[in-house]
Amino acid sequence: MDLVDLMTEKAFLGQEFLTWLWFKSAERGGAVRLENTGSDVEVVFEKHILLESGEGDSYEKIICQGLQAELREARTGLAMGKKIEQARIMLVLDQYEFRLTLKGSLFEFRSVRLPKTMDGSEESDDAGAVEAKLLDRIGLYEMLLRTTDELFRMFLSLRVGSDWPRELARLTAWIREAG
Amino acid sequence: MGLLTNSASFVRYSVEGEVPPDFWNFAAERIRANAFRDIDDNFDERSVGWVSPLNMFDSEFTYASYTVGDYLVISLRIDERKVASAALKKLTMKEEERIKRERQIPKLSRDHRVEIKENMRLMLLKRAVPIPAVYDLVWSLADNTVLFFATSQKAQAELEDFFKTTFDLYLQQQIPYLVGGRLLPAEAADRLADLKPAILI
Repeated sequence: MDLVDLMTEKAFLGQEFLTWLWFKSAERGGAVRLENTGSDVEVVFEKHILLESGEGDSYEKIICQGLQAELREARTGLAMGKKIEQARIMLVLDQYEFRLTLKGSLFEFRSVRLPKTMDGSEESDDAGAVEAKLLDRIGLYEMLLRTTDELFRMFLSLRVGSDWPRELARLTAWIREAG
Repeated sequence: MGLLTNSASFVRYSVEGEVPPDFWNFAAERIRANAFRDIDDNFDERSVGWVSPLNMFDSEFTYASYTVGDYLVISLRIDERKVASAALKKLTMKEEERIKRERQIPKLSRDHRVEIKENMRLMLLKRAVPIPAVYDLVWSLADNTVLFFATSQKAQAELEDFFKTTFDLYLQQQIPYLVGGRLLPAEAADRLADLKPAILI
């Protein structure tokens, strides 16, 4: 299968991941335990969720925007069979606060805001300082990607494993609560 | 919306193919050969090449190297002259009218009109100021992945082509299915291929 076919055929993996991640973050008041490090990452779905359903002529999308409480509409959308295509997420890891919009089907990271690690006084134009600034930002992007990779790995391990029916039952029960 | 801006958008690629052992010499030679060339002073329609992410006018990397630790940090610059279709249509019609009046003929042949349109397009292209677009890229040599700071499909297609031209290496966008194959142990990754969408209601 070529890449274009894979993008379409397997788009559901990223969309289901976003749904599972929302459910997981709601389960423990926002905290999700990372299996590789044993530490918690705070996952907050905020402000913006885009849901999709159908294909071609029957394609529909709804955008839910607002504060957390108002995302109930997005939960109702899930209960009606729509899938999360894109969500605005805050991830807090060891006091580092990342904000990103994740497009599930393609894993595009949009409007990413990194935590602030340097104040203005440390910025300088000399080559050493520029390299330090670049390395600092690259390090933060890698920290973000390691975290989303681990969350995705945890989801996939469940998804292809024997525990999936039980996890799916919990997930669908959570979706129905809002329906 | 790049590596150094407050808000950035990006996708991840894996680099496919054999990276030469003397990588930095190889990269230096290829980047030099494919550095951005300015078209402000000629009439070329477009130019694509590499520049420094700190300064889009620095294609010789005089002020900053693209080597940042174990990463290659560089920007793809694309300058393009564009012709507004409404302006092209207007000038083509104006020229057609002028010729018809001059020769006192009611109609021009199709070939002649095509020729007029092409001449007008070239004239407008020469007058147009090239519009620049710059996209940052971070190539991690440790895990052979590239972060490309653009989510437009057009920019991504440009990068995939130009990366291949420059380095003879392919980029493969890391969509969830491919990321999964890399993250899971081999036996679990095999099961990914057979997965069907779950019913969540």
